[in-house]
Amino acid sequence: MSATTASPLAGHGLHGPAKDARVARQLSVRRARRDRVVRILCVVATVIGLIFLASILATLLWRGLGGLSLTVFTTSTLPPGSNGGLLNAIIGSLIQTLLGAVIGTPIGLLVGTYLAEYSRGSALGNAIRFVSDVLLSAPSILIGLFIYQLMVAPFGGFSGIAGCVALAVIVIPIVVRTTEDMLRLIPVSLREAAVALGTPQWKVIVMICYRAAKDGIVTGILLAVARVAGETAPLLFTSLGNLNWSLSLTKPMASLPVTIYQYAGSAFEDWVQLAWVGALLITVGVLAINIIARVALRGGK
Amino acid sequence: MSVTTEQTASFGGVQARAATAMNAPRIAIRNLDFYYGSNRALKSINLDFPDRQVTGMIGPSGCGKSTLLRVLNRMYDLYPGQRATGEVMMDGTNLIDPGIDLNMLRARIGMVFQKPTPFPMTIYENIAFGVKLHEKLSRSAMDERVEWSLTRAALWGEVKDRLHSSAMGLSGGQQQRLCIARTIAVRPEVILFDEPTSALDPISTLKIEELIDELKHEFTIAIVTHNMQQAARCADQVAFFYLGEMVEVAPAAQIFTAPREKRTQEYVTGRFG
Amino acid sequence: MQQAVAAPARSAARTRRTPHLGDALFAGAARFAGVFVLVLLGAIIVVLALGGLQAFHAFGPFFLISADWDPVQNVYGAAVPIFGTLVTSILALIMAVPLSFGIAVYLTELAPAWVRRPVGTAIELLAAIPSIIYGMWGFFVIVPIMAQWIQPHVIDTFDGIPVLEDLFAGPPFGTGIFTAALILAIMIVPFIAATMRDVFETVPAVYKESAYGIGCTMWEVMRSIVVPYTRTSVVGGIMLGLGRALGETMAVTFVIGNTNRIATSLFGPGNTIASIVALEFPESQAGSLKLSSLLALGFILFVISFIVLAISRLLLRPRLKT
Repeated sequence: MSATTASPLAGHGLHGPAKDARVARQLSVRRARRDRVVRILCVVATVIGLIFLASILATLLWRGLGGLSLTVFTTSTLPPGSNGGLLNAIIGSLIQTLLGAVIGTPIGLLVGTYLAEYSRGSALGNAIRFVSDVLLSAPSILIGLFIYQLMVAPFGGFSGIAGCVALAVIVIPIVVRTTEDMLRLIPVSLREAAVALGTPQWKVIVMICYRAAKDGIVTGILLAVARVAGETAPLLFTSLGNLNWSLSLTKPMASLPVTIYQYAGSAFEDWVQLAWVGALLITVGVLAINIIARVALRGGK
Repeated sequence: MSVTTEQTASFGGVQARAATAMNAPRIAIRNLDFYYGSNRALKSINLDFPDRQVTGMIGPSGCGKSTLLRVLNRMYDLYPGQRATGEVMMDGTNLIDPGIDLNMLRARIGMVFQKPTPFPMTIYENIAFGVKLHEKLSRSAMDERVEWSLTRAALWGEVKDRLHSSAMGLSGGQQQRLCIARTIAVRPEVILFDEPTSALDPISTLKIEELIDELKHEFTIAIVTHNMQQAARCADQVAFFYLGEMVEVAPAAQIFTAPREKRTQEYVTGRFG
Repeated sequence: MQQAVAAPARSAARTRRTPHLGDALFAGAARFAGVFVLVLLGAIIVVLALGGLQAFHAFGPFFLISADWDPVQNVYGAAVPIFGTLVTSILALIMAVPLSFGIAVYLTELAPAWVRRPVGTAIELLAAIPSIIYGMWGFFVIVPIMAQWIQPHVIDTFDGIPVLEDLFAGPPFGTGIFTAALILAIMIVPFIAATMRDVFETVPAVYKESAYGIGCTMWEVMRSIVVPYTRTSVVGGIMLGLGRALGETMAVTFVIGNTNRIATSLFGPGNTIASIVALEFPESQAGSLKLSSLLALGFILFVISFIVLAISRLLLRPRLKT
């Protein structure tokens, strides 16, 4: 039994080199010390991250709560010193965000479906996935420039609809990512069970897969809404902002982020105050959507 | 050298080592309980691991045999919610004492896992890595140590010409022997094997078993296995675990031919498990 | 059994034709949408390139290395914003990577189970806060802190030490390249930390256990096993952070000082491609050379981001996606 292992041992003492316990202990102390330093640094890093979050939230509450009043929600933006509100900006943001999501979601949903259900390893599918992932992190200001060249410059004017389209372009890759990921989580057995009943593929996807992946897909859409609700840069060159009340999609349209941008940099105290109120509103809204989306996804599983 | 006599007894086609005297215990477990959260996974275990002999641990999945192994080198400390109470005595210290230096403990009690786990570095570095943690060796002493441990793991001949290529390029059986070499290079006193051949082909399995047979001349060995033939071939004494209890421990020949407990007999004859 | 299945007889023709049509329509729509995304990216590149054509024609390759930005003379160059974009982004990475690594290690190795989820979520929420909020917070909170406490101290400390003296010089306004990089770092930390945490968690437990099994400390396991094992993905996560930092607009615009000059001091003001586009765009006439120069800058930014994000995707794909 030991014939094969006995021969290579020739020339080697069975009992190999002895360990020097003293050296080992010294090394151990030094290594343990270094480990402790790293552990402390990791905790410090996490605390720093949390402090930043706390500082941002505290600043928003401290500066924003003071200016919060009913007029903010009932009055449009007015010249400095005339007790204006943010009504037009809030409504403008709601319109553009929702319309952006309405335009972008079906496209994103279809692309995600294509990637998860139809492309399976094809070169076209891989290219689309790659491009969509790049778009996901592409600078949003460039989306603004792109839509400006496409929809503003040729038609001679900034418009709410251009803002919606710019936001839709940002929504698409987010929905693509979550849709594909969620569809891929659906077990093959569920699909096979549906196919075995003679269900055509598109019905399997729409009636079975979408339904099974519903929580995840809705989460993705919510996250996309949260993301574009706070976008400023792409709106600067598309819907521009509008200090007057306007619901027309063909005219410049106000939005919270752009109004915050204009007001925060102004020299008027009441405008700066309103900017903080707007910042508080938008952050609370965005974080609330994020938390709801996470809880919904977790609850669904 | 060893005093073990290599006689064999036969039962149902399985060759088992004849009963030999057990050495003095290297590790002595007394009244050990282990909890995953509130679930009691080990119940009042009492077991001795005799010095420089092989203790095999068998039993159906989830019986606690792997858990016991992970108590010995405190691997369970990595996971919150897992805790042990009782005594695991080695050289007069209780290994599950919270004040123990875990890194030193693990240098004394090495472990080989189910799947080969080569580290993402060269073959040479895989061995030197562990040694450097506990010892300061000159370049030539390190070379010697690497050769020594690879030879002991019956791998030297196969890798001596490519020590500085990645360990990921080795076959599964070679990777597992590399992991054994890595473990013995640290010069532990005890080696724990957690189903070391479950991911290997029969020829690699045979090599590992031969290796264990060699290693027991200098190391105290504990091996968890699902394979009763393996336990019979490798172990001097075998402990049978069932539902978190240690049902029986006896010399290998006895447990496979004349177990005292009915449950043991049913398991070793393949009635369940 | 067989009889039960065969019982309801149906027309084979009817059951077959309609699904084919539905399948073809749905598959076609999905495929069309997919191709649309490809076209979208192509269109962005082409539209920005065409828009910048006038500037590229007027200044040639000199556009890339010229530091001029003079609306009066109608002369424009991209050197300063490109410099500012790269310097702020790289500086942000230098600050964000160690911080993110620490957070990722804390979340995967150190944090007690009940802390992991809330702290992990809190760090992720940092990524959800809109960029303009970072801008305001940076401008009203960080800039005064920098101006009053940090910059005067640093300038004093390094006074008289060659190189460092110049790197940290100038009046302590609080704004400038360093402050912009700091805000960028905070913004990209959640992206890098979340990626690192996710890839660290893909390392099979048995690898970590076998390193602990020969007596490694947590730090040794991270440094020698986990990080080498996940190296490509970690670099991918860092590139993702870099891609985010390059194109960040609003936060930077608030705090960088917006000056078209190549700063020699990190405390000096500067600009980035995104910030100059955001600021100068409203003052540009449609069809003007200035607008074309801004579009050309946009094209350059897109190319840089595309390369960085493409590398990031290629490095991340093998581990995070199967």
